[in-house]
Amino acid sequence: MTSPRALGRPRGLPGPSGLRPLTALSVLVAFLLLAASLFGQTLLPHWDAQDITAGARMPGGGHLLGTDELGRDIAQMVIAGARSTLTGAALVALGSMVIGNVLGLLAGYLGGWTDVLVRRWADLLLAVPALLVTLVVAGIGGGGWALAVCALIVLTSPSDIRLVRTAALEQRHLPYVEAAETLGLPGRTVMLRHIWPNTLPVVFANTLLNFAGAVVSLSSLSFLGLGVPPGAPDWGRMLSENRNLLWTNPSAALAPAVLIVLSAVVLNLLGDRVLEAFSKRGKS
Amino acid sequence: MTTTTAATTTSTTAPEPLLAVDGLSVAVASGARALVVDGVSLTVAPGECVGVVGESGSGKSLTMRAVAGLLPEGLDVTKGTVRLGGEEVLGLAPRARAALRGRRIALLMQDPFAMLHPQLTCGRQIADGLRGQGGRGRAVRAARRAEVERRLAEVGLEPSVADRYPHELSGGMLQRVATAAALAGDPDLLIADEPTTALDTATQAAVLDLLGRLRRERAMGLVLITHDLRVAFSACDRVHVLYAGTVVEHGPSHALRTAPRHPYTAALLASEPSARERRPRLTAVPGSVPAPGERGPGCPFADRCAFTAPACRTTPVALVPLAPATAGGAGTPAPRASASATDPGTSAPDPGLSGPHAADAGGRATACLRAAGLGPLDPPAGEAAADGAAGTGPETDDAALVVSDVGRRFGSAAGDRQVLADVSLTVPAGEVTALVGRSGSGKTTLARIAIGLETFDSGTVRTGPVDLPPGRRPSTADRRRLAGHAQIVFQDPYASLSPLRTVGATLREALDAARRGGRGDGAETVESLLAKVGLPERYAARRPAALSGGERQRVAVARALAARPRLLICDEAVAALDVSVQAQLLNLLDELRRDQGFAVLFITHDLAVVRQIADHVAVLHDGRIVETGPAARVLDAPGHPETRRLLAAVPAPR
Repeated sequence: MTSPRALGRPRGLPGPSGLRPLTALSVLVAFLLLAASLFGQTLLPHWDAQDITAGARMPGGGHLLGTDELGRDIAQMVIAGARSTLTGAALVALGSMVIGNVLGLLAGYLGGWTDVLVRRWADLLLAVPALLVTLVVAGIGGGGWALAVCALIVLTSPSDIRLVRTAALEQRHLPYVEAAETLGLPGRTVMLRHIWPNTLPVVFANTLLNFAGAVVSLSSLSFLGLGVPPGAPDWGRMLSENRNLLWTNPSAALAPAVLIVLSAVVLNLLGDRVLEAFSKRGKS
Repeated sequence: MTTTTAATTTSTTAPEPLLAVDGLSVAVASGARALVVDGVSLTVAPGECVGVVGESGSGKSLTMRAVAGLLPEGLDVTKGTVRLGGEEVLGLAPRARAALRGRRIALLMQDPFAMLHPQLTCGRQIADGLRGQGGRGRAVRAARRAEVERRLAEVGLEPSVADRYPHELSGGMLQRVATAAALAGDPDLLIADEPTTALDTATQAAVLDLLGRLRRERAMGLVLITHDLRVAFSACDRVHVLYAGTVVEHGPSHALRTAPRHPYTAALLASEPSARERRPRLTAVPGSVPAPGERGPGCPFADRCAFTAPACRTTPVALVPLAPATAGGAGTPAPRASASATDPGTSAPDPGLSGPHAADAGGRATACLRAAGLGPLDPPAGEAAADGAAGTGPETDDAALVVSDVGRRFGSAAGDRQVLADVSLTVPAGEVTALVGRSGSGKTTLARIAIGLETFDSGTVRTGPVDLPPGRRPSTADRRRLAGHAQIVFQDPYASLSPLRTVGATLREALDAARRGGRGDGAETVESLLAKVGLPERYAARRPAALSGGERQRVAVARALAARPRLLICDEAVAALDVSVQAQLLNLLDELRRDQGFAVLFITHDLAVVRQIADHVAVLHDGRIVETGPAARVLDAPGHPETRRLLAAVPAPR
């Protein structure tokens, strides 16, 4: 029989493959960002060296991007600042992924009351305005990077919960899952060995998208003064502190801004590309 | 029966056929440019129905998609011409080709649920294709509405269907709506791609009748693409048999059915079970269709053919016209052979062919090198094996499954539906019981209840030693005991195996589960399971994506057998497979059952399959068992109207 999916590309024939230029560029930028967040502060131990006499200079004279009001080198600061911004975003994405996988898988596989409770919880979190709650929490808790990250994990998780739950539900009644059940396998095995691995593609792609979102959210919190403490290198913080230098040394505010946008765009692109690759593979 | 003259371009006397495809080749656009369709020629006259038959991978759908200009991305037409009413269409600009679709050529696809827009009313979807019925205003709208109702009446539907949405209709009704929508632009040619495959047999027959009537009334050309020889022979004037992208044989339906001249046609005919008689063993075609790019220089069928000579593997084959009948056949010259690679040594019409079967040869051609030597091949043997032992009568104490007075009601927003009502059924140990019925009759629900995947409201179900509780899913302990007794093979080979796990991992898991449950055979290994279902050991390392549909179903059977069950439930397990593969699997199931002595509950809508394998039959209609008995008795002397309807729906040659 010609099944509907057999109408596409004949089995075993190659599709368009290889890296597209844009994807290759995104991978390169992502690697540079990763290197900066891992080794930036080690390679540039004097990133916070101050020189009040050379404050707020335009680029030039040994300072690639000029200096801020305290005479710190902007180029070194944005590299050093990659760590708090990017690791924070990575923690948010991973933490939310773990919560989403555990709750989503349980809800999707077990159904019944578990499903109802998990769904209500996710709906509740989605219903509250994320940034506002974070502001309140950070305000009460006194702010700080760790608190901001934790608040963002909790507030990002509902989208992961829903996604994993839907993916699990999709697999739940496929014949191979039911076949595993009729083999007499315990529910735990069916869930972890058969359903979970097949939900991973969407989970992975969504995690990249969450990461991109978290870069922006964390920067906004730092911008509002609720993230990292003053003096620490952080893109959002730099953006907020160097606003008033926009006319004396524009790159002091623009460099972190560009990097925030760039990392968000690059990771969004990569996330899309991964999702696309997986959905194509599923079809063939 | 119409016999189309294949018009040569210089001929002025022969009327131009509606569709003339000549030497059409389709290749993969990148890489090695493997040919997926290789030099296919065919013609369709107005009012004629031409069948294009082949297994998956034969290129039948791609050929007709190339004709309609709807090739999927990554495939290109590399050679050949397509003339529609005398006009070459391959060279047209995309916009001009798009204008042909709907007006000159229309397509009808396999899945009516996917073909219609779920959020538009059926009437709207038909109106969209009507010619010259656009515009606003009360009068125009009323005229359009009247036309839509007329079109619905043409396909045998009530006017009220115009206001309904696709999800409110059954599959058969949807296929009628889709037909009306496809015909809305009054095309000259309708290409129907497996239009009945997604429908059950009773509906299938009705849709085929409808298509036949419409093409006669409208004098419209009809190309019927199907994998089902019975469907092709019952509906088409002429049939082209495709294999590995080439036409291996074509001719009038009757001639092809009674005296096939290509071993592939003969093999397909022999692997088709018949509702009338049981064969000792279906003649399965070994192996599978070679992938594009893996075809040797010779006959693509050589590796699977029973008559292969050394020359078959090295000599390129081409369609050779069989000698036209000398008497009465005048004026019907044989269609031109495929333009490419015509070997002078093989292309000469063979005088030996004008023998006793010459009358059948009008407008026929075969691509078999040995056609002359082999002569007309035997149609499937008429010998009937003894029908299944009528059995000693169901004995409840050693029955593999006892269902009594089971009821199941599905609730939904549209209201409750009684899916099963007072169903009682006994599957005796070691024998094959077939559960038949059209779709929606509740047969799959019953199978799922028996294996604990579905709950039931009332009655009792005893699967071997396990009494299943009504109203809830069985407990983990019960499921484990159930697993040692009963296993299931599902219909869809593509969803039956976990896509990320290798075949070996899937089977090992089944063996481990059986061992932990204290069942199964300690000596059984992944390799021995694979051997049982006729797959080589190296398949253990493969993932499902690298397997064909038939191979996947074999793995699914192997997984089910790991626990050495006493009952194997096959839920339409062969319905999604090509005939030759279906025959392989039916033979395999029969062997395994004899060897291991398990009982089989075989769920199907196909009475020909029932005749072939079942000892007992139960007919389910609207959730009730309306007839039971020994298979031979029920099929030879059906007692209930529903059984007679199901029997009448098996496509019969004209």
